[in-house]
Amino acid sequence: VIGSYRLRPTWGLFMALSLALLWFCVVPERVDASVPAPDSACKLCHVGNAKELVLPSGETLSLGVGLEELQQSVHGMHATEQVYCVDCHAGRRRYRFPHEANPAQNLQEFRANIAQNCEQCHVSGAVHNPGHLQVEDKTGIPTCADCHGGHAVASSKAMAADPVGTCQSCHQTFEDPHVGDVHAEVVMNLGSEQSCETCHSALPQAEDTQCKACHSLLTSQLTLISGQKVDLHVNPDVIAGSVHGERQVQGQLYQALQCTDCHRDQGRYGFPHPELTAETARELTIDMENLCQECHQEIFQRQADGIHGIALEEGEVNSATCADCHGNHDIQDPDEPRARVSHTCAECHSTIQEQYTSSVHGAALEGENNPDVPVCTDCHGVHDIGDPTTAEFRLKSPQLCGDCHANEQMMAKYGISTDVFDTYVADFHGTTVRLFEKQAPDQQTNKAVCYDCHGVHNILPANDTHSQVIKENLLVTCQQCHPDANANFPASWTSHFKPSMEHNPVVYLVNLFYQILIPVLVGGFALYVGTDVLRRWWDRIRRRKSSLP
Amino acid sequence: MSQHQQTYHRFSIGQRVEHGLLILSFTVLTITGLPQMYPDHMWGDLMIQAFGGIESTRVIHRIAAILLMIETIYHGGVITYKLFVQRVRLTMMPSWQDVKDGFQSLGYNLWLAKTPPKMGRYNFGEKLEYWAVIWGTVIMIITGFMLWNPIATTNLLPGQAIPAAKAAHGGEALLAVLSIVIWHMYHVHIRMFNRSMFTGRLSRHAMEEEHALELAEIESGQAPPPTPAVEVRRRQWIFYPVAVVITAVLLVGLYLFVTFEQTAITTVPRQDVEVFVPPARSP
Repeated sequence: VIGSYRLRPTWGLFMALSLALLWFCVVPERVDASVPAPDSACKLCHVGNAKELVLPSGETLSLGVGLEELQQSVHGMHATEQVYCVDCHAGRRRYRFPHEANPAQNLQEFRANIAQNCEQCHVSGAVHNPGHLQVEDKTGIPTCADCHGGHAVASSKAMAADPVGTCQSCHQTFEDPHVGDVHAEVVMNLGSEQSCETCHSALPQAEDTQCKACHSLLTSQLTLISGQKVDLHVNPDVIAGSVHGERQVQGQLYQALQCTDCHRDQGRYGFPHPELTAETARELTIDMENLCQECHQEIFQRQADGIHGIALEEGEVNSATCADCHGNHDIQDPDEPRARVSHTCAECHSTIQEQYTSSVHGAALEGENNPDVPVCTDCHGVHDIGDPTTAEFRLKSPQLCGDCHANEQMMAKYGISTDVFDTYVADFHGTTVRLFEKQAPDQQTNKAVCYDCHGVHNILPANDTHSQVIKENLLVTCQQCHPDANANFPASWTSHFKPSMEHNPVVYLVNLFYQILIPVLVGGFALYVGTDVLRRWWDRIRRRKSSLP
Repeated sequence: MSQHQQTYHRFSIGQRVEHGLLILSFTVLTITGLPQMYPDHMWGDLMIQAFGGIESTRVIHRIAAILLMIETIYHGGVITYKLFVQRVRLTMMPSWQDVKDGFQSLGYNLWLAKTPPKMGRYNFGEKLEYWAVIWGTVIMIITGFMLWNPIATTNLLPGQAIPAAKAAHGGEALLAVLSIVIWHMYHVHIRMFNRSMFTGRLSRHAMEEEHALELAEIESGQAPPPTPAVEVRRRQWIFYPVAVVITAVLLVGLYLFVTFEQTAITTVPRQDVEVFVPPARSP
């Protein structure tokens, strides 16, 4: 007896039969105990034209399931293992029948809950959808189904084929506050290997692939506040072919540099990029200068101490930075070929380079890529370039010329005398300059150095008719410092010849005269003095003896 | 006893002052000149530094040279006075006897001669030195002028004269310094310390040894009769005006010597060059 109700056997039988009938009607396919879920029972109700569910927020949700799409999806007939409704809609009482009321207060909560269904199988969800997960404000971020779809689950392959389409369902415009329509341009040019995710990935730091993904595709220019335009395009092949690409140096293999090895400041170069502060292209170049510092510390310091670094520090914005001479992404060996050096300097010092090119040194460099002639950096230095107008530079300059011109091996090739340095130092000018160099390197002297006579960048062979030092032009050259010099005066310079019977015979003979006279006279004196000492010593001893008793 | 302590007058105050000037100028010229010949040697370098660098070394050298030239002019005046007014004997004139004395002296040292030579007021060694100084000073003044005034020199002489003068100036300097160090030092400081250039008097012992003939002359009272005062005064009347004129001319010459030309500009003009000139490119 249940309560006041008396149970009759006929009632009991009726109830049992009714229940059995209901069971078989509702779950007719359930014949095998291994079948995990009563799919048919779900599909019985959740058909295309099912009712709508009204959430507490007032939002409505169709309860119909596109069974056809489900069948076509990766979870349908293409799945390696059949996926049943309860495989996803499992583990919670509310999916049991009869269903409990859905706890979601609104559509978004509803969708977020669905993600938990996916994570039962797709545990990689954490590294998935990374860009979105990085957003701090989690409201509104898409869940699995937002991109992959609900029952018509799209395969990642299919999504990759149309990445933009996938993202575009939410991101209908690609407007970037920083680069304007640059984003759209990138999206338009995305290659088969790239997708939105290439850039918008979850990696903790920006990485090469991300940078290149955009900057290799960009062909437009960025307009700065000044109105100047700068290229955004970076050709990865150019970097790979540069000194920073993978290369073998002295048998050792060096890995290619990553974009972020140089553009390492995440605050400045991280993605999305912050607003540029540089107003002009020049400012941008100067701003980038310290990128090289991290690896090339010593050279960077030398450069900073050099004339360019100092001028830059003093606000001379045109002064050369690393990239002005070396380039940026297309950096090559700076002295290969050697003429490259003078061409690099010519980018700022064109008039000087023109003079140099017409000189004996420059012509040999341009004409035959001569390995011996000095290029700009041989005299001026490389990174710690000094001010060539200082007393120090001037006083050291003869040594600079002498480094090559006193080198017999090198000069023999060109039939140039190596006496030039010694004869200069032996002369009045050279002696003085050397002494100043040693004793007072910071003091100016009016005595001539090599370039005062031979010219600076426009040096010509001494036998060239336009040379400043050819006999016909020498008086004018002397008169630069000796305004009253007369026609005989230039001959008082021994023209770098050591005195001989051929060159400056009078000087040679005077020297010879004293070379003979001094030893003869001094030898004679010494002979007399020596014998005198002996004789007086002898006499004294004898006198002492004779005075003894 | 008294004979041994007796001293004989040798140099007047004027002569000693002249010698002092010579010591001063010669020493300064040497210590400022030799380092200029050997600037690459450490000692040369250090000495030049001690004089405050090459430019001031040169200035000091030239000041000493001016002193030497003034002394030379003065000496010329004194000699002329002695020759013209006093008509003294030419005791400094070299003679064949000096050559013989020299060889006899050397011969004595080598036991080839039995006795050393007996010599007069100035013996062969002193004459050699005196004339070496005259010769050397003339060479140094001439070549010094050429180096000091190369443009003026090349107005008359070929350019090669300047480096030749430099060679001679250096060679002669070396010769002079070595002569002083070996010959002079030996004879008046080492052989015996001859103080006569400072005290004016020479000991009897030194007189016997180096000026035996002069000593004999003094002791025999063979002094030449003094010139009558009237005659001296007459000659002075001629000498002084001429000497004043010639000295004035020489001093003007000396002034010209020193200031003859501005050989070179003092500072090499700085040429301003436009440095930042990027190449013109078609846009």
